[in-house]
Amino acid sequence: MPADQAIAGAPAAMSDEHIVAALRAGDERTFRELFERSYPMMKRVARGYVASDAVAEEIVQDTWMAIVTGIERFEGRSALGTWMFSILTNQAKTHGARERRALPFSSITPADVEAPAVDPDRFQRDDQAWPGHWATPPRPWQKPERRLLSLEAREQLKEALAQLPERQRLIVVLRDIEGLSAEEVCDLLRLSQENQRVLLHRGRSRVRALLEEYLDGADA
Amino acid sequence: MHNPGSRHDGHPASDFSVAADEVTCQQFVELVTDYFEDALPPRALSHVEEHLVMCDWCLTYVEQMQATVDSLRKLKDRSSREPSDSLLATLRAKKAAGE
Repeated sequence: MPADQAIAGAPAAMSDEHIVAALRAGDERTFRELFERSYPMMKRVARGYVASDAVAEEIVQDTWMAIVTGIERFEGRSALGTWMFSILTNQAKTHGARERRALPFSSITPADVEAPAVDPDRFQRDDQAWPGHWATPPRPWQKPERRLLSLEAREQLKEALAQLPERQRLIVVLRDIEGLSAEEVCDLLRLSQENQRVLLHRGRSRVRALLEEYLDGADA
Repeated sequence: MHNPGSRHDGHPASDFSVAADEVTCQQFVELVTDYFEDALPPRALSHVEEHLVMCDWCLTYVEQMQATVDSLRKLKDRSSREPSDSLLATLRAKKAAGE
């Protein structure tokens, strides 16, 4: 499935031209189908920018309003999905900025883009017996498939996602939650394969570290 | 369990910094995503695979990364909400204008 179809929520058989024509004509059936298919992903992406599900839902509605009212101006210079996705992220950023002005400063997490996957203090130093090897190794997670499904663990995961810098979060959401391929994400965000992997790596590593903190804490 | 004292016996510590044919655990953890994505060049891939045979701790780390990805996948929200009344009204107005 090409990225734009994944975002537009279109069945594979529906071309950009078909969708644009249908939206311009006010074809409600096609619109409802697109809306329903794209809703979970749009909400998930929007949720990365704002603090509540309710606001994320509002963003999806606003995004679709901007799509429906703006479709006459869509010139097809980019894929439809890319255009829709940029509307979504712009709407989400606007809402997010509005929210942040109302939040205490401490709730803004700095973007630690260059952070290593694992805290360097957990490896042996150069003057130790095995430099670069684990000093504080990870402890195996017991029954992760079950424990990570609990409501509390899911909240931890969402919290971990919310703490990621924007691009890392977008990529983790699109790749790991929504199941898009690397190629699709690169197309959508105009990233090279290599940069996509770097950001995915930082994002996943950070989420793992936060889950480790949570699970080790629960075991302690 | 990985135990540098026995597993790596015979390798003085300084060997790790000069030996380009091995990766340390600290280097290893930065290669995990490329490993998952099949993006490692052949030489790096064999280093990673050799390291995994040697090091139970890094194997645990890989399992945790996989569990992280798996649990993210389960967050997928399949719920679907209705378009708002104002959205539908806008669409209907479009249709009326076109007719």
